[in-house]
Formats: sequence, structure tokens, C-alpha cells
Amino acid sequence: MNEILEKIKSKYEITDVLQKRDDLLFFSIGKKLLVDILNYLKELEGFTHLIMLSSVDWLEENKFQLTYILNHPVNKYDIAIRVDIDRDNPVMDSIHHLWIHAQTDQREIKELFGIDFPGSPGVNDDFVLEDWDDIPPMRRDFDTLKYATDNFFPREGRKSYDTKEYMKSKLYPDQG
Amino acid sequence: MSIKDVLSPFLAWKKVFKDPVTVKDPFNDRPGAPRYRGFHKNELDKCIGCGACEEICQNAAIDMVPVEGIETKDGDSGLRPMVDYGRCCWCALCVDVCSTNSLTLSNEYTWIDSDPDVFRFIPGYDKKEWDNNELGWTKPKNYDLNNYDRVDMAELHPEERDKSFIEFVKGYSKEQAEAEADRCIDCGLCTATCPAHMAIPEYIKAIRNDDMEEGLRIMYETNPLPEICGRICTHRCETVCAIGHKGEPLSIRWLKRYIADQVPESKYKEVLERGLEITPKSKKVAIIGSGPSGLSAAYYLSRMGYAIKIFEALPAAGGMMRYGIPEYRLPYDQIDKDINYILSCGVEIEYNVRIGKDITIEQLEQDYDAVFSGTGLHLGRSTRIPGSEHENVYFATDLLREISLGNEIRVDKKVVVIGGGNVAMDITRSLARLQNKKYGKVDVTATSLETEDIMPADREEVVEAREEKCIIDPGWGPKEIVIENGKVTGLNVVKCLSVFDEEGRFSPKFDEAQKKFFPADMVVESIGQGMDLSYLESIKDKLEFSDRGRIVVNEKYQSSLPWLFVGGDIIKGPDVINGIANGHTAAKGIDEYLSSK
Repeated sequence: MNEILEKIKSKYEITDVLQKRDDLLFFSIGKKLLVDILNYLKELEGFTHLIMLSSVDWLEENKFQLTYILNHPVNKYDIAIRVDIDRDNPVMDSIHHLWIHAQTDQREIKELFGIDFPGSPGVNDDFVLEDWDDIPPMRRDFDTLKYATDNFFPREGRKSYDTKEYMKSKLYPDQG
Repeated sequence: MSIKDVLSPFLAWKKVFKDPVTVKDPFNDRPGAPRYRGFHKNELDKCIGCGACEEICQNAAIDMVPVEGIETKDGDSGLRPMVDYGRCCWCALCVDVCSTNSLTLSNEYTWIDSDPDVFRFIPGYDKKEWDNNELGWTKPKNYDLNNYDRVDMAELHPEERDKSFIEFVKGYSKEQAEAEADRCIDCGLCTATCPAHMAIPEYIKAIRNDDMEEGLRIMYETNPLPEICGRICTHRCETVCAIGHKGEPLSIRWLKRYIADQVPESKYKEVLERGLEITPKSKKVAIIGSGPSGLSAAYYLSRMGYAIKIFEALPAAGGMMRYGIPEYRLPYDQIDKDINYILSCGVEIEYNVRIGKDITIEQLEQDYDAVFSGTGLHLGRSTRIPGSEHENVYFATDLLREISLGNEIRVDKKVVVIGGGNVAMDITRSLARLQNKKYGKVDVTATSLETEDIMPADREEVVEAREEKCIIDPGWGPKEIVIENGKVTGLNVVKCLSVFDEEGRFSPKFDEAQKKFFPADMVVESIGQGMDLSYLESIKDKLEFSDRGRIVVNEKYQSSLPWLFVGGDIIKGPDVINGIANGHTAAKGIDEYLSSK
């Protein structure tokens, strides 16, 4: 994969290059160059297949990280490209014109992380959630436990014991 | 509606004669994948009921419940997780966070029943057909939600530390303390094991929140000597830490020290007395001895409003903490910090007064409404072997006390210490420092009946003593201190085969054929301490004693004389934290007694 890496390096400014496996290369690129490099890799370098698009919430660093994984069906290797986007302005250019199925990934990420892909067909339609009325649930500041407790009542007869209090009642009820 | 929508149901009919893609197969099993996340399994005897699974569950699907046949004991809450499968989403976080690896998921996922209540059960206790399934989800090997590596504590290099009595454990920095505090999973198993039942997870949480004042307040609720305990506590809490099952337990003792170290003495009053209102009571309590139990009783009684006076036989307060523990482990200014605050709470203290000699116990009974006695174990015990009566054979407690008083003690070039407990290590390491000062060379050997694996001293004490060039040679029974021309020349020992009999009683067995001689000019005995109860001689008949010579007290440390409460090492321990605990409990007992009087 060295050859393709050198080629990419000569054209684009990329960072955090990591050869994860012999057939899997990771690197990061600026948000503005993402569609450009995907276009280049697809049309000129034979990475014709988009395997997946995923997102990670780096809450402490106030950013989302999108990862696009492409496959080269002939040479049988993959490239994963990471892009950081501002958590306060979660908008990314759509790539549905390059791979039509990307619109499904983008619709899913819009629903679960709240990252918008303007122009992506159906991006605002419900994906798996219906009538969701809270912040996107895959954001790390979404309190899953609170949501579950508020929305799903506990089964009758449930009772839990606090470890410390229970041990006190058993071992030293008169002290402490 | 488009024409396609109208036609499509009919178009499906064209497939009616084709082979189905799915196959109905009621006869063969359809097992989940090898790492499939199905129903829970739990190894009940491996599980410690820490509740981490309940805590992490994002669907509130787990309850911790008592289980028949599982006893609540040190390090095990006796509770076990019960899963509500109406809420479980099979994410397996509970497995990934499990501190003992007892909880796993089987790859069984099919179970049909018309009764919804059967889908709530206690894995491992309510027997299921998948309990013995090998396959399913176990914690992955290459990552862990828990952190099992302790943040190392900086210490002086042995070469530096054996030259002086300077404290050699340096204490955590803010970053180190927060990183260490971050490892706590807040299970609280430690609280039950701590003799004072300190709110350990709560003060560790205060470190995570960088709120030292809150941490100090929490500690003082159960322990008014945190600087001291933060250095020399026997830290039994760490032996039951859930994280200790697969890694290094939290450094609870050093975290306690960190909190106390961060709050300067000048701020104690403000931090600990904010919003505090004490209604003074008319009754007075006398306390004999200013060791941990006496100080603890004094502090909590003064908080309740009683007038307190401590009588101390020695010229400074602290008891064994000052006169038994060497300065390199517990510096005097740190003892003073804790004690000064207690004395600032209106506790009066009189030094150099020995009850039974300067004031009688009857006098105390007359002048005060109640008396607490925590006089400790200050008498050395002798091996009584031939030669032990020689003037150059000493008791460890006497030497340690003399060192603390600032008096010069005799230090010979070659010393043998008999004993394998913490006091033996204290005198061994103190003598090493003094030898180094005097002769520029360490030559001290400690030998004990117990072999290395059952030596009563803390492991780190043994390791550190060796680092300081002391020789620790355990597993030998002392036979005779050899005296030639009136001078000690060494110690004869024989191999000790076992220390206790089958019933656990002290009954050492020796192999007389395996002998050894430790050359020495000076011998120190450190095989345990005894109590001096001579001050109670005149009321002895009214007190009840156990078969082993201890004063019998009730659960509030009240003796058979209602006005006399007794605690500290002479009742339970010996160690500082037990003294603090029983001083606190006795304070509550005294309050009850005086309130009803």
C-alpha cells in the first residue's frame, strides 16, 4: 500500500497515518478536502466501494470524528479516512452522489448523532427511532440510564439493596 | 398512491411456487455464534456482590439481592445480581465491568414462556440449562473498563532513607491522586472491613471532584486522625478492594493522606466547624491515655458537648503513634497536626501524670462523671530464654520510646532482633538507621518463629527493611542468648517447623537438629506487648476479666463498673484504626450512659 500512500501524500495534506494491517491504512484529512479525496480515490485509484461510514463522539475535545472506509476490490485493500468536525457546528458535506447507499449511513448518523448532511435524500426521515424527543442518543452527553428510567417503568416487585447499607445491617448494625 | 403500490402485493404471488429462502426446522438447534451475547451466567462463589454490574447497566435491568446460602462477610456483600430481561438489551457492559470475571453471557438466546415473571432471575442461583454453556460473551482479553495498575508512590531511595529518620514516602501529587481515585468503582466493600467503617468511596469521590474540604469533613465523621492513618494504617480495607481481585487494590491509605495533606492546619477549624453548633453539657469525662482510642473518644465526646480532660503519663500526646512508630514512617509534625486540632476543640490535656501514681482511679471516679481508659500495650514481653535477663537485651517498645523521647540509646555494631511483627520491623529499621549514623554500616538481623509466608509484619515492611540492608531471617525459634565473659555474643536458634497447632493455638514445634547461631553484641526482644493495669489494682475486684486476662466490656466498651469505659489496644487490635473505632463507639456509649444518668 506504500505506493498509493505516497501518491496520496503528494496530492493531499494528510495526518495521523497508521498502517493498521497490511491491507488497511488509516489517515486523517481536513473537512474541506474529504469529498475531493473520496472522489479521487473512487474515480482514479480504483477504491470503488464504500464499506461504511461511522461516527465517534469525542465529547471532551468538542468534536465528532467521521470515518469513511473504502475498499479496492481488485487489489483487495482498504483505506479508512478520518475527518474531525466541530461539535458545535455538526454539518458535513454529503457523498450520496458518489455512492448512493451513503445516504442511508448519513440518515442513520443524523438520527443517532445529530450530524447533518444537507442535500442527502431523506436525511431527516426517521431511521430506527420513532417520535424521538430528546438529544440524539449516541451523543455521549445523552443520559441513557435517565432516559430508560424516565420512560420505562420498573416491573412491579423489583427491589435492590445498597451494598454498603446491606453490609452494615448484616455485620455492624449498631456501629458506624 | 402510485400504480406500483397497488400492483406490488400481486407481484409477490409470482414467487408462490419457488423454494422458500428461509427454512422451517423445528428439529435442529440453531446455536448462537460463539461470542453471542445471550442469557447471563454467574459463578456465585467467585462473585463478591460489588454491584458494579448494577451500577453500569444503562437500562436499570439489574438488582442486587440477597441469596440464600451466600453469607455477608469481609469482601463479599452477600448480594448477587438479578436480571430483568424485560429491560436488558444484551449490551454486556455488566460483563465488561465485572471486577472478578464471575459474570458472563452464554450464547443461548431462545427461551419462550407465557409467564413474564420467569424472565427475572438470579444467574447462577436460579439454575438454567445454559449455566454450563462454554460459549458466549466473556470479557475480551485486550481491553478492560477497569484500571488494575496502581499509581506508583514516590519514595526515597533506600540508600538515602537508611541514613536518616526523614519520612521516605513522598505522597501523591494532584494528578497522581486523581488518577488513583479514578480507579475506584464505588462498591463500598471496604467500608464494612474498615474497623472505623470509614466512608471510603465517598472521600475518594471527593478527590475525583477535587474537593478536599468535603473529603476532610467525610473523614472526620469516623476518624479524627487522618494524617496519621493516612500514613501508618494497617489498611485492611485494601485487602477487600474489588479491583484487587484482578489487579492491584486501590491505594486507599495514600489517598486518605493526600486529602489531609492538602488542607493546611490553619484551615481545619473553618472547614470542620462551618455551621457546627455544639450545646455544652454539664458533665465531665476523664480520659486516661492520649493514644488513638483516647483521642478519638475525646474528639467525639467534645463534639457532643462534654467537658473532656485527658491524662497522659508521657510528656507528649499520641501514645504508641508517637512513642512506638518511628519518625520515618510517621513524622512528628503530622502527629501534631491531627492532635492539635483535637485539642483545639476544647479538649484539655495534662502531661506527665500517671494514673495510679499521681492520681488514683478513685479520685477520677469522684471528680468526673465517666472515665475512658485507653492505656495501651506498653510493656515488652520477654522470651524468657536463658540469657534474656542480661542488661544488653532490650525490649523493642522501650527502645522505640526512648528514640522518640530524643534520648540516646545503646546501639552496638551487631544486633539481633527477635520477632516478626510490625514492631520488630520498626525497631530493626530504626536500629539500622542509628547504626548507619554511628558506624556507617548496617548490621542488624531480625529473626522470627514464623516463616516468611506467615510473618505477621506487613509485607511492605519486610521488603523495605531488606532494601535498607537489614537481614530478615524468619522461621527460627530462639533457644539461648549466649553470654561469654559477661558479654552478649549472639543468639542460638533452632528451626521452627510450625507455630500453631491444628486448632490454631500457639504451640510451636521445633527441629532441634537444625541449628543456627546469629552473632550479636546486643539483642532486642519484640515478640509482643503486654498491658500494665496496675492503676486499676484497687478496683480490680469489681471488674470482670476474660480467661486471657482482658477486661470484659460490652459492645459500647463499658466495663462492669458502669462509669468506666475501656478501649484501645488493651481491648481490641492492636492497631491505630481499631483504637479510633472503639474510642468512637465508647464515646457514643458514654453519651448514652450519661444521658440516662
